[in-house]
Amino acid sequence: MRVLVVEDDALVADAIRRGLGEAGYAVDHVDSAERAGTALGAESFDLAVVDIGLPGADGLALLQRMRRSGTAVPVLILTARDALADRVNALDLGADDYLVKPFALPELVARSRALIRRSRSAASAELVIGTLRLDLAARRAEVDGGAVSLTRREWAVLECLALNIGRVVAKDRLLQAIANWDEDIGANAIEVYVSRLRTKLGGAAPIRTVRGLGYRLDDTPG
Amino acid sequence: MTRPAEPAPSVSRRLLGLLLLPLALLLGIGVFFDYVSGSAAIRAAYDRALHEMALAVAAHLRDADADGHIDADLPPQAVAVLRADSVDSIYFAVRAADGHLVSGDEELAPPAAGARSEFGDGSLHGQPIRFVRHAAVIGGRTPVTIMIGETTRKRSAAIRRIITSVVLTDIVQLAGTLLLVWLGVRYGVRPLRALGEQIAQRSARDLAPLDRAQVPAEVRPLVHTLNALFETVRDSARAQQQFLADAAHQLRTPLTGIIAQLDLLARESGSNGLAPRLLALHESTRRLAHTANQLLALARSERSATTHDDFAQVDLEALATDAVAQYLDRSLLAHIDLGAEASPARTLGSLWLLRELLGNLVDNALAYTPAGGRVTVRSGTEGALAFLEVEDDGPGIPADQRMQVRERFRRLPGSPGNGCGLGLAIVDEIAHAHDARFVITEGADGRGTRARIDFRAA
Repeated sequence: MRVLVVEDDALVADAIRRGLGEAGYAVDHVDSAERAGTALGAESFDLAVVDIGLPGADGLALLQRMRRSGTAVPVLILTARDALADRVNALDLGADDYLVKPFALPELVARSRALIRRSRSAASAELVIGTLRLDLAARRAEVDGGAVSLTRREWAVLECLALNIGRVVAKDRLLQAIANWDEDIGANAIEVYVSRLRTKLGGAAPIRTVRGLGYRLDDTPG
Repeated sequence: MTRPAEPAPSVSRRLLGLLLLPLALLLGIGVFFDYVSGSAAIRAAYDRALHEMALAVAAHLRDADADGHIDADLPPQAVAVLRADSVDSIYFAVRAADGHLVSGDEELAPPAAGARSEFGDGSLHGQPIRFVRHAAVIGGRTPVTIMIGETTRKRSAAIRRIITSVVLTDIVQLAGTLLLVWLGVRYGVRPLRALGEQIAQRSARDLAPLDRAQVPAEVRPLVHTLNALFETVRDSARAQQQFLADAAHQLRTPLTGIIAQLDLLARESGSNGLAPRLLALHESTRRLAHTANQLLALARSERSATTHDDFAQVDLEALATDAVAQYLDRSLLAHIDLGAEASPARTLGSLWLLRELLGNLVDNALAYTPAGGRVTVRSGTEGALAFLEVEDDGPGIPADQRMQVRERFRRLPGSPGNGCGLGLAIVDEIAHAHDARFVITEGADGRGTRARIDFRAA
């Protein structure tokens, strides 16, 4: 898997390249938006890590150009300016995530992995989380290669959590996901399905309860 | 907005004072002159009647003989007519040149001789009287003095009546004028009042220019100067924000590089003895970065640097749930049960600053709550207030230190963790910038800490 890093600070760029390299990604580095444009035109990438504060055309301009030309590569924005405008703009302009400097390298690697997995699952209709493997087209789950039988509602809950891996999914949203299957669902129905999923999947897919909010399927390397 | 404790000099009070006092004085003088001229006319009319009585008496007199004896040919009927008055007592006296009484009342004493005819005031039987002395010559050779006296009850009553009506009219006129002046002044200063209210209703952070359309010409320079001042403050706040944004970039980028490189180096140097030193260096640098972040946040939330430029409706419920999601991993590492009890709430504010505020509260709660503890982030409304609240069941903050902990670089003695003591100072600044109230109390059952920010709901 190939990542393009667009960052003008040599020390930061080097650290990102090493960090992502350790995690098994092939990394190309450029130090300006212009060079990034050239690289994106010549090669295909699975992720672009773009610093906003670039000399010349900045990272947001690059992001805008990418989205206008229809590039679907997921973009992780890096910024040293925590101004609201930066964040909102980045997400409005089509960034998939952002990190405020100074960030911890493991966090950057984790976010990159999540972004790549999400975009690949959309393309391949398959999701791999540790030992758990989800076939989104056939609605089938496997743990360690063995099929796990899930009801339609259990599948809907798992799919919703898996597509938002690493993110807290509100209870309401899970309710909406299973509402298609049944009209009258009690408010605590979700708790029942989650508890059944935990039993069926074991440690393969740790589903965490977030008090007062919902659930989160924890990300694991892989 | 702070208001001066003593009442400020008021334009309408001043105008009313300046107009009402002279007007009241003028009207008072008018009443006085009406009294003087009205009573003079009445007195003259009664005096004329008195004088005519004297002339009537004179017409009845003849000199009887050459020795000068006067024949007072006053029949009893004539005297009765003369004296007939239901209100006043009338006295008369006719005296010869030598002073002896020819006819009438002896007690009506002659005044000193003088002009041919004169009026005077005196008293008779203990009552004030008005009299006329009329000198006449009877038969062309005999001088006599006729005096007519009259008690003053009638004329006093007439004067009282006329004075009463004149003064009443004048007082009504005075009251009417004063009312008109008062209404006029009130109406006249209405644009000033409107301007005052426009300014009073603004938040002290609001630097938008004042509307000049409805402002009277007299205070237009004031509004103009205020607007210019607002602009200056706004420009300097923007310049400060720009400077801080640039400073943030310049500080954070190298720190990012150093931290990431130290992280890599520590891992790469696994077996040799450098790892602990590199990790310590990594941790110190991370702390330095945290302090730099907090200093930048504090500087950006300072009153002098905040404008209402980026104020908009902020969804506090979303803010609360986002904060829980954001800090979830840290709470898992610390074995703290982090949760939300978020109800819909909105306020007008800066999303960035409020995120910073809540982040600091959650960060603090996680830092001070021991493993196994519980931290809850809440949002909701109470009456006209919208609130954000973070409650933990940690050791709590002693009641006498709840104000001090908001001071910069202030940490409670024996605090765990590596905070720099700026978190609550930042919360305090941001609450101020939003005209919100920041209260620290103990949590439920008197345990832990409950930090609450009350905003105006929007």
